[in-house]
Amino acid sequence: MSARCWMLLAAAAVLSAQVRYEDILKGPSADWITYAGDYAGQRHSPLKQITVENAGHVVPKWFHSLEGAKRLECVPLVKDGVMYFTDSNTVVALDARTGRRIWRYKDEQVKRQDVNRGVALLGSRLYFVTSDAHLVALDAKTGGVHWSVSYAETKKGYFATVAPFAVKNLIIVGVSGGDSGMRGFVAAYHAETGKEVWRTYTIPARGEPGSETWGDLTVDWGGAGTWLSGTYDPALNLIYWTTGNPWPDFYGGDRKGDNLYSDSVIALDPDSGKMKWYFQFTPHDVWDWDAQSWPVLIDMEFNGRMRKVLLHANRNGFFYVLDRVTGEFLRATPYLDKLTWASGVDAKGRPILVPGMEPTPNGKVVCPSIRGGTNWMSHSYNPATGLLYFPTVEQCDVFTSSSKHPEPMKNFAGTGVEAIPKDPGKFYLRALDPKTGKRRWEYPMTGDTSMWAGTVSTAGGVVFFGDDDGHLVAVDARDGRHLWHFNTGQRLTASPITYEVGGKQYVAIAAASGVFAFGLFEPAVSVPPLKISDSR
Amino acid sequence: MCVLALAAFTLAPAQEEEKEKDIDNPHHGKQEMVEAGRKLYLNSCSACHGPTGEGGRGPGLIKSGMIRGASNRRLFTTIKDGVRGSDMPPSTLDDGKIWQIVTFVKYLNAPAYETSAAGNADAGERLFFGKAGCVECHSIRGRGGVLGPDLSGAGLTRTYAHLRESLLNPDERPTDGYQGVSIQLKSGRRVEGVARNQTNYSLQVLDAKGGLHLLSSLDIEQVSFRKGSLMPGDYKTRLSKSEIDDLLAFLSRQVIRVPEKEK
Repeated sequence: MSARCWMLLAAAAVLSAQVRYEDILKGPSADWITYAGDYAGQRHSPLKQITVENAGHVVPKWFHSLEGAKRLECVPLVKDGVMYFTDSNTVVALDARTGRRIWRYKDEQVKRQDVNRGVALLGSRLYFVTSDAHLVALDAKTGGVHWSVSYAETKKGYFATVAPFAVKNLIIVGVSGGDSGMRGFVAAYHAETGKEVWRTYTIPARGEPGSETWGDLTVDWGGAGTWLSGTYDPALNLIYWTTGNPWPDFYGGDRKGDNLYSDSVIALDPDSGKMKWYFQFTPHDVWDWDAQSWPVLIDMEFNGRMRKVLLHANRNGFFYVLDRVTGEFLRATPYLDKLTWASGVDAKGRPILVPGMEPTPNGKVVCPSIRGGTNWMSHSYNPATGLLYFPTVEQCDVFTSSSKHPEPMKNFAGTGVEAIPKDPGKFYLRALDPKTGKRRWEYPMTGDTSMWAGTVSTAGGVVFFGDDDGHLVAVDARDGRHLWHFNTGQRLTASPITYEVGGKQYVAIAAASGVFAFGLFEPAVSVPPLKISDSR
Repeated sequence: MCVLALAAFTLAPAQEEEKEKDIDNPHHGKQEMVEAGRKLYLNSCSACHGPTGEGGRGPGLIKSGMIRGASNRRLFTTIKDGVRGSDMPPSTLDDGKIWQIVTFVKYLNAPAYETSAAGNADAGERLFFGKAGCVECHSIRGRGGVLGPDLSGAGLTRTYAHLRESLLNPDERPTDGYQGVSIQLKSGRRVEGVARNQTNYSLQVLDAKGGLHLLSSLDIEQVSFRKGSLMPGDYKTRLSKSEIDDLLAFLSRQVIRVPEKEK
């Protein structure tokens, strides 16, 4: 057969790997096509092959080791049997049934090597960011490059880790670097051409309303990073994006106001980037409590009427319910037992500060710790149980500060924190009832409190999560009863997903050096060696 | 039609001795020193290493990750002192001339983008997307076929010699994941394309239309792999010398982003 004939042969039963905007709008499916599984950020899958009754029969199906990987933080996406996951400047496509590699793209030109949180799928392409803040469009079938655009300069303090977010025909990205000085922003790019459509800064420009909440230096360099992906309400046409801490992290003398719009959730019009509302969780933060934990969108009854709300368990230890139409504060309740910096939240949602809890040169013990009561690890919500599931850590730190004049990009954060060896803290998976803000159950962990693994909820009534001992664990969504666990032998810094291929449900999680996939046990079938005829 | 069978660069692991600070090559980046080094190389080195570094009695200098990743210090001292226990003698040339040879060896291993290709890149672009037919199997920035490697960044991921060899002698360096395959399924259906991956238990096949077939061996009746590369082997005769130069000049210019130093 001639080479030409080989190439021109048509094939049937093609896996197209097309993800249309309408597919994402439909919500969760057998695939996992956005960072949070759907636009509402609920991370709840309709799959129910794995149930409370049979979860004990879950077994490993495959492991894909990625050479050089040491700390994967990505959420893999799956479409039509193909899994896409990332490491620094690297994207890999796998056969999601077998873990066998289909292609790998690596940008060897990038000098930085930061963690990466995943890809966005739209059309026949996928999108990811390099550590030096290039947004790259790849062909989902081949890993071939369509375009690559620089969207932020490393010499201005930026780098990138975010999983891009696809809305309509736009790819939306954010930036990292808020711990050593930069000016955060969210930006949208045309999916087809890579042209910038809008850019909205998370610190107002000098002279704009809100700029008075900063100092002369910090208004240009105050951080408010945007390194976590977003959620979206198509009916309201609003995207919700969280912002990071103000800089310098632990010393507020050069930024004496509220430092808008740091530590906030902002609601943006995806067509224009215009900010419709914002809500700031921790005004004038001096504890490095970025607002980067996941905003979950649900409709629920509140004070006798149905409201479109945004649920948010913040690093600062309070669980918030906001009206996502207007940003109106509805309620905040502490979800931690150890919470010392604020005595509560006032009627407008502003924390009531406990005096003397700011970091000092000699150190001040404050709870929660620098990592917050929870963090960017994914939270999930099960509509059937009405519960929100998220990892929490009961932990305190000694926060120290310095009034040394800050210089951007010098790795100066206003000093930092020290752990308390005799009280290392403890992780729990907690289930919260958003209607009351009360804890329904908790599952304690026993590890070293070094982990960033999140949760996924399923219609089978099972919650899967990573613990700080390196286990993937399954518990009953109703009461937290242990069902199953598997020791990955690796530190977990990513959140699990679930998907279906060929009528079989899988659960997958990126561990330190590769991706694990699990499913229900099936007896092995003897596979004879491939019959390979004479080569031609 | 042109399907370049191009293997990706594999950088050698850093050698222990190269962790110490490297020394500067005084001739780095000087084209005239490349030419001077080439002449010295032809006189002093080519008898063993081949006229274009392809190897012979001595090891090849253009396909070795160790050479490609070698520091200036290592190359210089190897030439100057020779390799004890081998046929590589110490050089009698002065240091300046040794540095010229180092410059030439580095040039042989530099990404194509950093070397001076002789042809006309614009004419090469017309060939790529036209008469030569490369675009039927290769893509550049989303334009083209899928059965050959994406060449959007070929200028930085391949040396000029690599590009040339892939074009003219494609069977010399087949690329993993691009072997032609024809599969008869037990269902009666047939799948043709390139095997992006294969084991005894599954095959991942990409067909010419970009369809991906994730196949279990249990569903396969018979597999036939194409012998050699899908890349036609007749470009030496199908294209003129100047057309080959033009095509290589075009491919050498393909980068996903312009290197920092040129900005």
